[in-house]
Amino acid sequence: MYYVAKVNSDMCAEYKCNTCTLYCPEANTLMFNKDGNTSWVDEDRCKGCALCVYVCTDMLDRNCITMEMAGHEA
Amino acid sequence: MSLKYVTPAERFKRYLPKDYVELVDFGPFGKTQEEAGPGNMGQFKELMEEHPMCSGCWMAYYIRLIFASLPCPEETVTLGTAGCGRLAISQAAVPFIYGNYGDQNAMASGLTRAFRLRFPDKQKDVITIAGDGGTMDIGFSMTMHSWIRGERFTTIMLDNEVYGNTGGQSSGMSPKGAVLKMAPMGKDFEKMPATELAKAAGCVYIVRMSPTNIKQAAKVIRRAIFVAREVGPTFIHAYTSCNIEYSIPTEDVFADAIELGRGRFKFDEYMTDEAKIVIERVEGEEKAARKARKASKAEAVN
Repeated sequence: MYYVAKVNSDMCAEYKCNTCTLYCPEANTLMFNKDGNTSWVDEDRCKGCALCVYVCTDMLDRNCITMEMAGHEA
Repeated sequence: MSLKYVTPAERFKRYLPKDYVELVDFGPFGKTQEEAGPGNMGQFKELMEEHPMCSGCWMAYYIRLIFASLPCPEETVTLGTAGCGRLAISQAAVPFIYGNYGDQNAMASGLTRAFRLRFPDKQKDVITIAGDGGTMDIGFSMTMHSWIRGERFTTIMLDNEVYGNTGGQSSGMSPKGAVLKMAPMGKDFEKMPATELAKAAGCVYIVRMSPTNIKQAAKVIRRAIFVAREVGPTFIHAYTSCNIEYSIPTEDVFADAIELGRGRFKFDEYMTDEAKIVIERVEGEEKAARKARKASKAEAVN
């Protein structure tokens, strides 16, 4: 049982922004989908540090990323 | 390695591991920084792979940034030594050499000389990436002597101010008064002046920084590599916090890096006149190439 980052893609697509993908310590984990203009998380690789939440919420005030239980569908 | 060796024959691709084929097709080999650089991390297959470093490790982040900023990844060799950093560096698709503790700069000295003899027509980049213990404590003599001899390669110190890999002993780079597991009363001595030592030993390009500004950090890494190709030893002293030993909650790691970037890791760039000439020339060429690419793209659209 652990938390992983989850991107709310509808909210994320409103902004032209890929800042969170630039600040993830894991490679090939927080990816950017150019067609949908949204970030997405590879859940199997996410270690749940919540650095992206800091970037999205505290720095940019956009609140698109939340920490949720891995494998749990809300 | 070179681009020729990295790229497999087309019909061979279906027999190769998928990860490797993805790396060749969607990775940064042979591409420009606009196509696959630090500005669009998360949109291409990166050189660094899954690594066993802690959750929220700022050192892992900086290593990811180093590999994304390499000017020519297929012609690069990295060297490292024991410590946290090597756990991620050794997982990257760039040849990595791992020696005894602290001898990375001695190995790199021999390697750069050998490369110049073996490949006189090619530019091979040698980069040593080691922690504060490997560079400034145990590998101190070899680091200093490689600089004094003027060996032409880049040294990057990942300074987490503690021996994070072995349980939190204080290192020469820990700040005075830091309370660590193996320094319970607080460290007695001052932090070693790494950048001043590098200056005294003859490094031609020295930067001290906390990598929070991605553009600036990438520029510094590239500058250090370009200068090392032609002029002499270059040194980057980067703050990469240890959130375990310094008890920083993972979500505050970035805020801590910004705070120290204003404090004892304030951005400080030193270069000699020779280094400046090289940097201005290379960055001018890059700018011109970028402009030409943009113009040809616009022409293709029209």
